[in-house]
Amino acid sequence: MTSRVRTVVDRVVVGVGLLLLWQVAHMAAGTYWLSSPWQTLQRLGELAASGELARHAAYTLRAAGYGFVLGGVPGLLLPFLLRRLPIVSATIMPFMVAGYGLPKLALAPLFILWFGIGIESKVAVVAAATFFLVFFNVEAGVRALDLKLVRMAQILGASEMQVARHVILPGAVPFVFAGIRTATPYAIGAAVIAELISSNRGLGYLVQLGASNFDARTMIAAVVATTAIVVGANSVVNALERWLLRWRPRSGFAAGAASGEF
Amino acid sequence: MEEPLLRVQDVGKFFPPRERNAQPFWIIRGLTFTVAEGEFVTMIGPSGAGKSTLLNLIAQVDTPSEGEIAFRGRTISSPRSTVLRPGFDRQIGYVTQEDNLLPWRTTLDNVLFPLELRGGADAQGRARAGELMAAVGLAGFERHYPHELSGGMRKRCALIRTLLYDPPIILMDEPFGALDAQTRAQLQEDLLRLWSMRRKTIIFVTHDIAEAIVLGDRTLILSRPPTRIAGAHSIALPRPRDVHAAARQEGFAALHDAIREQVR
Repeated sequence: MTSRVRTVVDRVVVGVGLLLLWQVAHMAAGTYWLSSPWQTLQRLGELAASGELARHAAYTLRAAGYGFVLGGVPGLLLPFLLRRLPIVSATIMPFMVAGYGLPKLALAPLFILWFGIGIESKVAVVAAATFFLVFFNVEAGVRALDLKLVRMAQILGASEMQVARHVILPGAVPFVFAGIRTATPYAIGAAVIAELISSNRGLGYLVQLGASNFDARTMIAAVVATTAIVVGANSVVNALERWLLRWRPRSGFAAGAASGEF
Repeated sequence: MEEPLLRVQDVGKFFPPRERNAQPFWIIRGLTFTVAEGEFVTMIGPSGAGKSTLLNLIAQVDTPSEGEIAFRGRTISSPRSTVLRPGFDRQIGYVTQEDNLLPWRTTLDNVLFPLELRGGADAQGRARAGELMAAVGLAGFERHYPHELSGGMRKRCALIRTLLYDPPIILMDEPFGALDAQTRAQLQEDLLRLWSMRRKTIIFVTHDIAEAIVLGDRTLILSRPPTRIAGAHSIALPRPRDVHAAARQEGFAALHDAIREQVR
């Protein structure tokens, strides 16, 4: 058996084990507290058939997407700008660290106060959460820049702009992706939590709706749908990263261990 | 007398002391030599002799603390220089110890990089890149990324990247230092062949006496810090030279012994 097949088999075994555990817990607690995997799937089917699932998921994804762009793009560009402005950088860094430490989800009620219960407040929460994650990852990348490569490019005749474009930017791509990969589940999670607090749409609202009806099936179905979206978004990011970073050796310890191949 | 291509005049470089009342450390001091157009100069010295520091000064990666460096009769670097111009507008090529290839570019794109910086590789540049790659055995590896190449192949790639844009003078800092003996001999052959095709001015730093003799027209011996020129030998061995047979040629052993006497 090749190691790749072995990995797939192992994963199936673990997945089935988790489902069994869920089923056992359901049988011990009863449907009122915890719906079974099958009941949850049925509820998901109902929600999908009525179009509700797509409507709520689209709303959540839209909030996460807008917020991701609104927070991620400045988080991505700012480190490159700060590289050229060391004094400004030294001045604002402690405040950025404080901003990173701030629990952004706790701002959700404030944003709802400011922007209302529409999509704007969700976008604001997502943007606040993703900005710092992307910023600190990209900042680490700009700092870890290989100065020897910069110097070599200068010797070969590269202008300031050419160094930025051909050396600094491609060198930072792995860190940009680390930021995006970390921020993706946070962005979707932040949107859902903001919807939980106050909304009339979205997967978070669906969880809240289930809760107010004492309907565990709907709550769990909405959480499962959210998880599926996060997993899907992650695999899109991973595929994009694999393509953009195809120049990197694939035999790194972590990469090899994670994919089970060398 | 004709002005030499490169003149290094009374150059010194110190590093500021770590503690407040300590003396500054002069790694190089009172170092003078010239290099003529088309000359292959090898430079040999004990480790820690400031060889890389000297090349960094010539390549304008760093400024000298005293003295001056002149290129074609014009002073290009002195303690009064305020702006460093690494590579002096593509006039000075520099092949460093590490290959410094861009890991996200394929072999061919790395070789073409200097041309791309100048506004794009034309058909002639591409043809020449192909020739150079073939000459050093990199044909067929154009689309490979640096991590897919062996150490020797990466060195070849770095070498022809500099040869391709054709700077009038090329500095080489122990470019073959980290390689096994067999690969190193192959690269020496490659370099001699490329050099015989187009006689560039080269300053080649090494810590291997045999390498200094087999490659150079002249070898300069560096002292321990504060480094100056401790000796110079013309190498009269006929060209083309055979890397493997050079050690058996008349005069090699005597020259090797004389140099070893001075390298300490």
